[in-house]
Amino acid sequence: MTDYQVVIVGGGATGVGILRDLSMRGISALLLEQGDLAHGTSSRFHGLLHSGARYAVKDPVSAAECIDENVILKQIAAHCISDTGGWFVQSSEDAQSYVEQWIRGCAYAHIPIREISLADAYLKEPLMSKDVLRVFEVPDATVDGFKLVWANAKSAKRYGGDYKTYHQVERLILDNKRIVGVAAKNLVNGEEIMVHCEVVVNAGGAWASQIVGTIGVPLDVICDKGTLLAFNQRLFQRVINRLHPPSDGDIFVPHETITILGTTSEIVDSPQENQPREPEVKRLLAMGEKLLPNLMGHRVIRAFAGVRPLHREDSEVPGSVEEGREVSRTFVLIDHEVHDGVEGLISIVGGKFTTYRLMAEKVSDWVAEKLGNTAPCSTAKENLMSEIPQDLRKQALRLLPCVAAEKMLERLGDDAEEVLTKIMDDPRKGQMLCECEMVSVAEVEKVASDEDSHHLADIRRKTRLGMGTCQGAFCTYRVLPLLGLENKKFDPLQDELKRFINQRWKGIRPVLWGQQLRETELTRAIYASILQLNENPG
Amino acid sequence: MNEQDRVKNLDACIKCSACTAQCPVATVYPFFPGPKNVGPDAERFRLEGILMNAGCLNYCSNCKTCEITCPSGVKITEIILRAREKAKLAGQKDEAKFQHRVRDLVLGRAEYLGRLGTIWPALTNGLLGVPLVRGLMEQTLGISRQAPLPAYHRKFKGIKKTWHSANKQVVFFPGCFVTYNDSLTGLAVVKVLEHNGYDVIVPAFHCCGVPLQANAHFREARENARENLSLMNPYLQAGIPIITACTSCGLALKEEYPNIDASGAELIGQQSYDLFEFLWKLHERGELREDFQEVLVSLGYHTPCHLKAQGIGTPSVRLLRMIPGVRVNNLDAGCCGLSGSYGYKHEKYELAMQIGNPLFERVQLCVSKGEFQSMTTECGGCQVQIQHGSGVETKHPIWVLMQAYGLAINH
Repeated sequence: MTDYQVVIVGGGATGVGILRDLSMRGISALLLEQGDLAHGTSSRFHGLLHSGARYAVKDPVSAAECIDENVILKQIAAHCISDTGGWFVQSSEDAQSYVEQWIRGCAYAHIPIREISLADAYLKEPLMSKDVLRVFEVPDATVDGFKLVWANAKSAKRYGGDYKTYHQVERLILDNKRIVGVAAKNLVNGEEIMVHCEVVVNAGGAWASQIVGTIGVPLDVICDKGTLLAFNQRLFQRVINRLHPPSDGDIFVPHETITILGTTSEIVDSPQENQPREPEVKRLLAMGEKLLPNLMGHRVIRAFAGVRPLHREDSEVPGSVEEGREVSRTFVLIDHEVHDGVEGLISIVGGKFTTYRLMAEKVSDWVAEKLGNTAPCSTAKENLMSEIPQDLRKQALRLLPCVAAEKMLERLGDDAEEVLTKIMDDPRKGQMLCECEMVSVAEVEKVASDEDSHHLADIRRKTRLGMGTCQGAFCTYRVLPLLGLENKKFDPLQDELKRFINQRWKGIRPVLWGQQLRETELTRAIYASILQLNENPG
Repeated sequence: MNEQDRVKNLDACIKCSACTAQCPVATVYPFFPGPKNVGPDAERFRLEGILMNAGCLNYCSNCKTCEITCPSGVKITEIILRAREKAKLAGQKDEAKFQHRVRDLVLGRAEYLGRLGTIWPALTNGLLGVPLVRGLMEQTLGISRQAPLPAYHRKFKGIKKTWHSANKQVVFFPGCFVTYNDSLTGLAVVKVLEHNGYDVIVPAFHCCGVPLQANAHFREARENARENLSLMNPYLQAGIPIITACTSCGLALKEEYPNIDASGAELIGQQSYDLFEFLWKLHERGELREDFQEVLVSLGYHTPCHLKAQGIGTPSVRLLRMIPGVRVNNLDAGCCGLSGSYGYKHEKYELAMQIGNPLFERVQLCVSKGEFQSMTTECGGCQVQIQHGSGVETKHPIWVLMQAYGLAINH
C-alpha cells in the first residue's frame, strides 16, 4: 500500500517543477521540504533568466538549453519575469578573440544577438562605464525565484499535487534494495511521519548527497558558494554582462527594485555555509567597477550567498582552484538502480534555475516510464498562473496605490481577492506595512494566515517584506501584532523578532559603510535601544 | 541633477519618515501618503517602470518643507517634480480630466494672466469680483470660487531715472506678483535700494518658472529660466547682484537656475539674494543706512516656506527689529496652505485652508489679545492667503523699512 506514487525531496525550483510536471501527468506526488519553499539556492542567486549567451563559448549544450527554456518561461511564467533584455559589454580589457568566439557560439546555439551603437548604449544606460568597446543585446531577462517556485507549487496543487514544508527527511526506507517510502520529521511540531511510495526523487540540491546518504548511497555534490551584492535601486535598466570568459563580479541584474551584482565562486564544505564574507564583497566591488564606475559610492543594502550544487563527475579538472566554475552547469540525472543497485530512487543534480523546467521534464519522463504512465509532458504549454481578471485588477487599483496593487497581483494572482476584501472591510488595512517594498497590512495579514507560513521569514519570501532599503528597520516591529493574531502558529514574538533582525543583520554586516551604515545605526537605535532587544527578558 | 547625483540623492534616504511627519498636506489629508512615499519610496518602483497615479503626485504642494526637514539632505520635492514630469511625458492622464489640464495651462501662466489683467486692472478686478464670473470659472476651469485671487494693479516697470555712474548697481527681479499685482511694493523695493546708494536695473524679465513647474509645464519652466538667464548674464558677468523680494522666485534663482544649461547658470546661485538677505549683508558690512526713524508698530511675522528652504533664516525679522519702536512676533505656525496656485484649485481649496488654519487661528488670537495689529511676510501668495484666512491685513516687510527711512511713493 502506498500513500503516494512519488515522493519528491526538496522544495527548490527543480522539486516544485517535478511536482507540477508529475501532477499534470496524473501521477500522485508529495513534495517534502525541510524549510520553506525556495529558501535555499532557488532564491539565493542573481535572478537572471539566462539567454544562454553566458555559456555560448564554454558550454554550448547549456547555452542551447537556456535559450529554449528562456523562450518557454517568458510565455508560461510571464508574471515572474521581467523581460528587460540584456547586454554583453566588451571593456577595453576584454580580448577581441573571445568576442569573435562568443559571436560564433551564440550563432551555433541560435541565440539572437544584435550590436548596439555606443551612443545609443550610453543614452540607455548612463551609468555604464565609458571604457567600453562594443555592446551586444541578447534576450536575457530577470526572474523572481520566490514567485516562480510558489507559482509552480500552486499550479501543482490545482492538479492534485501535495507539498509539506518544514518536513525534514530523516531516512529513505528500503525493502530489499527497493525504495518503499520516506521517514520525515515535522520540524514545527516534532511529529514523525512515514510516507509510502514507489519512487523517490532526490531534488535536494546542495543537500542531495545527505538525502541518499541516509541509506549509504554515495553522491558527490560539490557545494559551490556564490556571493552577491544587492544595491538599493535599479542602476541599470537591463542585465549587463561583461563580454569575457565568465568570472566573478561580471554581471549586474536589475531585480525588482534593486540591482544585484554577482557572483563569486568558492567551494565550501556544506550547504549551510552561506554567510557572505568581506573578502568576497571586496572582490565583487573591485570587479564590478569595470562595468559601473564609482561602485563604492552606490548604496549596497546587503550581501547574500547561495550554494550551487554541482555534480563532481562532470568536472573537467577535478580538484583545481577554479573548480567551481569549471564544473559543467548542465544537470545530470542519476538512476541509483544503475549506479548503486537501489531501485526506485533517482537524483537530479546540477543545472541552473533557467533550466529547472527542462530538468523536471527529464526526471518526470523517467518516473512516468517507471510507473507505466504514458501521458506526455505538458508543462511548457500551460501558463503557471491564470490571467488576472480585469475587474480584480481594477478593484486593486482603486483600493491600493498602483505600485502596491500591481506588485500584489503579481505575487498573489487570484488570491489577491482575499486581500482586497480585507481592505474593503477595513480601509486602514490598505496602509503600507512594509513601505520600502509597498506591502499592505492586509496582504501581510493574509500571508501570515496561510497554512504554510510558519516564520516571519516565510512571509518575507512571499511578500518581499523587509527586503527593501530599510532592511526591516520599520516593518519588523509593525508585523509582530499580526503574527500575534495567528494563535500559536508562530514562535513567541520575541523569538521571531530576534531571528528576523538577525537574518537581516547577517547580510548587512559585510556591507557596513556609507548610507547603509547610517540606516543600520537607526535600526540599532530602534531595536537595541527603544525595544531593548539585547536585554535579557526580566 | 545628473544621473550620478540622482542615484546618490535616492540612496541617501534612510526611511526615517521625518518628512512625512512634517508634511503640511499629509497632516491634514490622509489620502496623500506623504513625501517619503510618493518621493523616494515610489522612485525605486518608477525606475522599474511602474509609474504612480499623477493625481496622487499632484497633491504635493511643492512647499519644500520635506527638504528642509530631511536629516539626510534628500531633495524630495525634486524627486516628486521629476516624477510628475515623467508621468506627463509618459502621457499618463491625470485621472481628473481635461479641465485640470486646461487649468494647469492657465494657472501656470502667471505672466500671461498678469499681462492680460493689467491692461485694464479695474475691469479685471471688477469682473473677478462678480460671483457669477467666479462661479463660471469654477465650473469651467476648476478654480475655486472662494479662492483669494489677488487683485491686479498697474504693471510694475521699474523707475526711469538718470543713473549716477558713481553708484553701485543691482538688478531687481520683481517676479509676477510684484509686476502685476503689487507694483507699489516693487517701487518701494527700488526706493529703499536707491536710498542705500544703489542704481536699480530692472530688465524685462519673464516669470521665474515656479508656477509653470508647479502646474506640470516643465519644459516651459526651463525655457523661461533660460530666457531670464540670458537677460541676467551680462550683469552676472560684471559681478552685479540679482535681488528679488519674492521668496519663490528667490528659491528658483538659487536652486533651479544653476541646473539650467545656459551661460550665467554657474554664477546665479552665488550672486542672487533675497532682498532682506542682501540688506542684512549691507548691515554686516556697515554699508546699510541705519538712520531709522521710530516706527511704533507691532507685527506678526509669517515665514514663507520657500524662504525657509533658502536656508538663510529670517533676515527681515532681524532687520525690522533694529528699527526703534518696531516689535515683531515670529509666529512660526507652519505653512499658509496656498503654495502659489495650489490653493486656488477647487479640489484643493478646502485642504489649503485646513493647512493654513493653525496659522490663521494664531493670527486671530494674537490680534484679539492686542499683541499686534497686522501681519507681515515676504511672499505675495502668503499675504493674500493670510488676509483671506484670518481677515488681518498682511503686507511685505519693505513697507516698515519705507516708514523707517521716511520714504514714500509719489504717484
